[in-house]
Amino acid sequence: MNPIFEEIKDAIVDGDEDLAIELAERVVAEKIDPVQAVQLGFIKGIEEVGAAWTSGEAFLPDVMMAADAMKAGMDVLEEVLAAGEGEGAYEDKGKIVLGTVEGDIHDIGKNIVGALLTSAGFKVYDIGIDQKAEEFVAKADEVGAKIIAASALLTTTMKSQKVLVEYLDDNNLRDKYKIIIGGGPTSAKWGEDIGADGWAETADEAVELCKQLLG
Amino acid sequence: MLPKFDILTDEQINKIHKNSLKILQEIGVEFSYDPAIEVFKKHGQRVEGHRVFLDPDFVENMVEKAPAQFTLHARNPEHNLVCGGENVIYMPGYGAPFVYDADGGKRDATMADYDNFVKLAGASKNIHMTGGTVVEPTDVSDDIRHLKMAYSHIINSDKCFMGSSSGYEFARDAIELTALLHGGLDVIKEKPALICLINSVTPLKYDDRMLGGLMAYAEAGQPMVIASLVMAGSTGPATMAGALSLQNAEVLAGITLTQCINPGTPVVYGSTSAVTDMSTGSLSIGNPENALFTSASAQFSRFYGVPCRGGGGLTDAKTVDAQAGYESMMVLFAASTTGVNFVLHTAGILQYYMAMSYEKFMVDDEIAGMVLRYLKGFDTESDEKMAYDVIETVGPGGHFLTQKHTRKNFKTEFYRPALSDRQSFDGWSKDSLDTNQRAKLKWQEVLANYTPPELDPAVKEKIEAFIEKRSKELMK
Repeated sequence: MNPIFEEIKDAIVDGDEDLAIELAERVVAEKIDPVQAVQLGFIKGIEEVGAAWTSGEAFLPDVMMAADAMKAGMDVLEEVLAAGEGEGAYEDKGKIVLGTVEGDIHDIGKNIVGALLTSAGFKVYDIGIDQKAEEFVAKADEVGAKIIAASALLTTTMKSQKVLVEYLDDNNLRDKYKIIIGGGPTSAKWGEDIGADGWAETADEAVELCKQLLG
Repeated sequence: MLPKFDILTDEQINKIHKNSLKILQEIGVEFSYDPAIEVFKKHGQRVEGHRVFLDPDFVENMVEKAPAQFTLHARNPEHNLVCGGENVIYMPGYGAPFVYDADGGKRDATMADYDNFVKLAGASKNIHMTGGTVVEPTDVSDDIRHLKMAYSHIINSDKCFMGSSSGYEFARDAIELTALLHGGLDVIKEKPALICLINSVTPLKYDDRMLGGLMAYAEAGQPMVIASLVMAGSTGPATMAGALSLQNAEVLAGITLTQCINPGTPVVYGSTSAVTDMSTGSLSIGNPENALFTSASAQFSRFYGVPCRGGGGLTDAKTVDAQAGYESMMVLFAASTTGVNFVLHTAGILQYYMAMSYEKFMVDDEIAGMVLRYLKGFDTESDEKMAYDVIETVGPGGHFLTQKHTRKNFKTEFYRPALSDRQSFDGWSKDSLDTNQRAKLKWQEVLANYTPPELDPAVKEKIEAFIEKRSKELMK
């Protein structure tokens, strides 16, 4: 096995974004098999972090920095992977578009959810804060996501989650995507009231929810 | 009153103060609201887009304009409150969207809950004002929620209360209602009667909604709490000194803006900084770090010469259990003994501000009573209090139970618990009620016996007419 795979794994476990990029660039430059680099390097690393998280040994900075390093390295490899280089194929566990709803600029909870979903093997497209319904849908359409995840922290911005569901209804897109919501003032009841497909209180529960919805 | 103790040395205060000024000057603060940007430009501060870089001398000069204390006026003057100095003001929790019931149930908060918490605060002798947004009444449209909430405070009690800070327009409504209650805008400009809560968005931002509220209150000369909640480890550095520097910078920036708009506007230096639970990302408030941030904030307020808001009956517990009790006592005690003046969230909070609980309200009311008694300290003013004569009368052996001196003094010297159980085991075991169960019986009894103080019918009519008119406009 090429020793670079072990180095990539360690870079992910250490949450070293710069090193992850550097190693990914070496994979491209030296024409090393990118699928193997993903499976034996990036995925191995994030799985190790995920396991440590589940057992309570890893904390949020560990997981979030690992997810950032993974994303940065994978972005470098995207082109060669898309070109079909390497043995076999790499497939993520599902694509999820994630963002904070219109009018709301809070992003920490959303970022935590994104990191944990990444560490669980999902491909996460984070569109950021204060996003209109159209933006969620445009991104989901572009990348072929199955799940749209919308966060709101304020009682005054929760209604934007409702607007998102209504937008899908109005555009006959309701069956194409699963909508899940979360955030401090939201609740299972609120999720039911607005017709969302799921609600989770914590980031861990959000991961479970996505596994169920895509399972 | 007990002397308030310091937790930081002068050297530490200076180091953090300088660090905060450097943050303001070199990193700057983002103000999303254009009218606020105009104010800073007019005062010669460097502005890039929506980011404002504040000159250290300018900040110090502006903060100095804020008064060291002020009186908040109630419709019943007996309930007027001096905010600042040695005083401490207690009030209910603020902003929780949920109510947790005694049996462990969770539900959305309603307007009926709102009225109940205002009444409980009105009835309590330990809770000095009825607060604001005592829950988020989610059964009322948020277009008119601020009107209904203000009405609840006006009608259900004659103590001081807080008003909406949710944008310029809603803030104006709350101010106008208060003016109707007190006899006009110029009356409350002279004698402030409404206070609101302005929060930064950490790190280093203020949003449109809060800045609109800030400008409305500053223009009307009504006091404001300018508060920052740094979640150390997520929205701020994981070091205590770093998080405190960041909080301090944000609060100074907000206070500076209030003084630019209306020099001398009463402001309260606010802190709710605490830590992030690094396993879940949640805010965690029932801890020693929060108590430290609170005490340090009180000391910074003394340093800047403004009153302080911080602390409360704060806990991460989900029900009224031992954790709820010990965490709440720690933070309220720290706040009260180190000089916090305005204690939002004194009573009712569970799970890091997410929920209010009736039972927790009664527990915190008891804690508040105990702490208030502690703050009174020892009275050594008179021979009567020194009690030499009665010690001589009883002499060696004997007892004091049948002395006139005892009968005369114990009621004022001892705190009499309203909720705690001091019975024998046999006495207690007749019903075997734990604190949660006793608290449930207690709040039901208090509510059943509470009669809101009557409001002048002419004033009431004006207030109701205003609310009706505004509701029609806002619900269009």
